[in-house]
Amino acid sequence: MDLTQQPSRLSTAWPWISTLARLGLAAVFLIAGGLKVTDLAASARAVNAYELMSYDTAKVVGAVQPFLEIALGLLLLIGIATRLIAAIAAVLLLIFIGGIIWAWSQGLQIDCGCFSKGGALTGGRTAEYGLDILRDVGFLALAGILLWKPRSKFSVDGLLMGDR
Amino acid sequence: MSKGNRGRDRAAAKRIVEQQKAAERRRRVTIWTTVGVVAVLLIAGLVGWGVLANQNKKTEASQVNTPSVAVDEGTAFAVGTGPVTVDIYEDFMCPICHEFEKQTGSTITQMVTDKKITVRYHPVSILDRASNGTQYSTRAAGAAAAAAVGGKFLEYHQVLFDNQPEENSDGLDNAKLIELGTSVGLGDTFAQAVNNKTYDSWATKVTETFSSRGYDGTPTIVVNGKKVEGPNNTLPTTEVFTQAVTSAAG
Repeated sequence: MDLTQQPSRLSTAWPWISTLARLGLAAVFLIAGGLKVTDLAASARAVNAYELMSYDTAKVVGAVQPFLEIALGLLLLIGIATRLIAAIAAVLLLIFIGGIIWAWSQGLQIDCGCFSKGGALTGGRTAEYGLDILRDVGFLALAGILLWKPRSKFSVDGLLMGDR
Repeated sequence: MSKGNRGRDRAAAKRIVEQQKAAERRRRVTIWTTVGVVAVLLIAGLVGWGVLANQNKKTEASQVNTPSVAVDEGTAFAVGTGPVTVDIYEDFMCPICHEFEKQTGSTITQMVTDKKITVRYHPVSILDRASNGTQYSTRAAGAAAAAAVGGKFLEYHQVLFDNQPEENSDGLDNAKLIELGTSVGLGDTFAQAVNNKTYDSWATKVTETFSSRGYDGTPTIVVNGKKVEGPNNTLPTTEVFTQAVTSAAG
């Protein structure tokens, strides 16, 4: 008796949990992209500061990335192809985390450029890579929830699939 | 078989067909949303690419007024004639640049007077975000270029730092930039250049060159091609800087 009731209660809760994860991740990407899109040159410098690629490549990455982030944010907001978007978001976040670990291991003193245009830090300010990574891992968890349980409320997916 | 049984079979068959239909529908939805989403992401990427290409056009050589007096690929203003080259990349909004100026400025002036060094000032604009959208860094760098054309770079450089606005304020407006110019003896040509943003795209170009050389913070101080800094990427002290110059002079 209890066995049948427990999972059903959880299974009604999941779409709501996924909805929160979806909207949260949407906000993350919209904010991150929105803060960068207004100054693409600065975005390019932030990428360049990681010293992972040539400046010309960094310029392209720095210009494309904010638009991608905004697009991902909007797609998450309306909730279309949620699992696929969650997978793409997870890959992006893993790349970001990798980048921060790289910067850390190289002893670079840079702002990660996660929610800003980033760049080198000067005098007095120190990088807080541990916190940056922790935060990104939190976002990764949101993406994980959506990968696992992509069905959520108020989503285009739900509408198209004929969920109530 | 009773009638009731047959009815149940039919219902079950109907249910299976409906389930298959639903599964089919899911599959179609998944395929089409995937296609749509990938297209949207590709378009977003292309938009970014397009905006970048558009911005690159603005810093093409033909679009930029490079001040005639600029050296080092037209990105800097030279002071002094000494054998050791000191490149200073600075942003007029950057407090640490001001600090370096206060800390080491007099030593640099002395070295210039002693004909030990040639200083090349590169006014970059990486802190445009810190002036509430008024792009103070770019305007100040552009004004500094106009001052250089008027033969007063060093003087203007000094008054800009003396009157440095707070980070995340609006910065100095153009009228104030012109007033400071007048105070060091710059005239109408200078005022026009500031108001017409004559050298603003040049400042962007200098910043591009700065980034492409692998530098990302201000001030960046380079002595004979070698970056000089304190421990942990901090500002070099005057001693560290002097040592770098001495060893470069060899």
